[in-house]
Amino acid sequence: MSIDGIVGFLFIALSVASLYLLVAVGLSIVFGSLKYVNMAHGVLYLAGAYIGLLIASTNQYGGLLSDAGQVGLGWGFIPALLLTPVIVFVLGIVMERFIAKPFYERDLLDQLLVTFGILIAAQEFVAIIFGRTGTIYPRPEWLTGAISLPAIGTPPGMSAASTIRVLVVALTVLFILAIFAFFKYTEYGLAVRAGTEDSEMAQMLGIRVGRPFLLIFAVGSAYAGLAGVLGGSLFNVTSGIGMEIIIPSLVIVIMGGVGSLRGTVVGALLAGLFFATATELVPSMTRASIYLLAIVVLSLRPNGIYPSTEVGQ
Amino acid sequence: MSIDTIRNSVAGDSTLLSWETWNRIKHTERFVVLSSVLFVLLFSYAFGRAPVVSDIFRGYHGLAMTILIWSIFALGFNLLLGQTGLLSFGHAMFFGTASYAAALFAIHVYNEPLLVVLVGVLAAVALGVVAALILLRLHTVYFSIVALAIAQFLYFLSREPLVEITQGINGLDIPRMPLLGIVDLEHEYGGLLGMLVVNNLYIFIGVFFVAVVALITRIRKSPYGLIFKSIRENETRTAFVGLDVWRYKFAAFLLSAAIVGLAGGLMAVNTQFAGVERLYWSVSGDIVVMTVLGGLGTLAGPVIGTFVFFYFKGIVNGFPTLGNYWLLLLALSFTAVVWVYPDGIWGMLTDFVRALRDPKELVAKTRRRLSDLVPGGER
Repeated sequence: MSIDGIVGFLFIALSVASLYLLVAVGLSIVFGSLKYVNMAHGVLYLAGAYIGLLIASTNQYGGLLSDAGQVGLGWGFIPALLLTPVIVFVLGIVMERFIAKPFYERDLLDQLLVTFGILIAAQEFVAIIFGRTGTIYPRPEWLTGAISLPAIGTPPGMSAASTIRVLVVALTVLFILAIFAFFKYTEYGLAVRAGTEDSEMAQMLGIRVGRPFLLIFAVGSAYAGLAGVLGGSLFNVTSGIGMEIIIPSLVIVIMGGVGSLRGTVVGALLAGLFFATATELVPSMTRASIYLLAIVVLSLRPNGIYPSTEVGQ
Repeated sequence: MSIDTIRNSVAGDSTLLSWETWNRIKHTERFVVLSSVLFVLLFSYAFGRAPVVSDIFRGYHGLAMTILIWSIFALGFNLLLGQTGLLSFGHAMFFGTASYAAALFAIHVYNEPLLVVLVGVLAAVALGVVAALILLRLHTVYFSIVALAIAQFLYFLSREPLVEITQGINGLDIPRMPLLGIVDLEHEYGGLLGMLVVNNLYIFIGVFFVAVVALITRIRKSPYGLIFKSIRENETRTAFVGLDVWRYKFAAFLLSAAIVGLAGGLMAVNTQFAGVERLYWSVSGDIVVMTVLGGLGTLAGPVIGTFVFFYFKGIVNGFPTLGNYWLLLLALSFTAVVWVYPDGIWGMLTDFVRALRDPKELVAKTRRRLSDLVPGGER
């Protein structure tokens, strides 16, 4: 394989891993710290994709909007990328207060069931409003084709990596480092870690664990919203993408080891690599590959790759 | 019942026609089996052809058969979730695999409906053994999600790599053959039998339905089935009593797989088709919705839930404006049931009957339930 081929392959693997990771990281910290399984996290991805779409472009939709003509602000890709996570952040706060909080004390299976119901309802709601056919993000010119730098032009080997994939990977690396730093260096991160270890003791020491938890939930939501915009520009946007992304993401979280951020990162990278390898060697196995990987990993290590209960290790 | 017993019950503190007598009759196994026979005999008629009722329902015979088969599926799923407390989000794997196995057997080996269904059951059990070895080491959410992962793996596997065998999204068609070489399944009856059950295929499915109900009643009433329940309540304690928890979970898993496999095989015979969409996650999701909506851990709950689901999917779907919103309505009511009323529709019905008998108790129960919803509220 030429160097172009290798770099192209790596960026396919990394960009797929990035999307899963941005969604899975929110799931993982919420599961790890709040002991809350949130299938409705897929709603946030779905919301991110459609909100981004409404900001970025004007479009003719089906469903109830079919008579409304062109809908959307048409501000372009960058405003969508900046604004969507903020909007989904607020959405995350609402979701934590009204959907997640009443269920913290309840059975894990109740949480799974209720959030599953919410996800299906939300997808159906979007389908009714926007129609069932897929939409594509209009990509700005500078995002099409291979990356090109001002001074050197296309760096060696990069001609096979499309700009959008490079952008996805770069943003993900940035945001994942940010969340690691958040847990390691900030007071809030410390409070979350303490709340995770022993929430009663933390409260007795005067930490109001409710607030850091709310923040964590909302930050995870914003990540999912960002993933929605990025995922929408890589693949199609349909009303079913919430479920499509949440299944692999949950599988990755569990494969990595619940509560272990490191495990989630490793799990997503493995999934991306498997995805890209299968695309290259056995294309028909592409979408089955991640599930096969999870089944094998969990047969060997039932508690995941990094069986840990603490967040931010 | 001898004359003496009647005399005693009339003379004693419990009268012949009282709630206590009714409770005693209701809880016998014979009552359950007889009422399920009655249900099968009347269901298709009441749903599809009865004068006034079916006009309200807008039902039809084909949908009645589908509902019976999916009821078997839901009963099998409920045996695992309702009895043992294991929530599998991947039960489509048994339904789809059994369907495929049945279809492949019918096409390539021998097309005898009874054998075809049996092959479906065996295939589901075989898959169940493999899946159980992976899944039973995992707990709660891990179990649910990895079950989903296995089902999704099988879905994508049969969709593309195994396209030579499964025909991918086109699916497999099975020719219709007579049962045991003589009984034509599509033969339609006249007279009373024709009015009630229409054809032999319905009887074929109905017999399996009653058999499954009888089997599940037997399991639920046996000490063996009680152990399933104790695992749901507290696994550690069950293990401390000295029971091999893994073995009982394995048994419950395989029983559930077998019953779901039966439903898959019957579905292949009924529709003369097996396709990849029976392995898709939405099938697993649908069965969760049906069972929980109807009422978890009960016998009638899954059947009612299946009926409601297919009523929405098959009939409300066709309504002018409302039809657009059928899945949204269903998903919202599912969410509401999990949120506020975990006993489901069957629970509501039994509560209603109980309220007729003792209104105070219902008020107390509702108050308890509402205070449970508020975290930190009065308990």
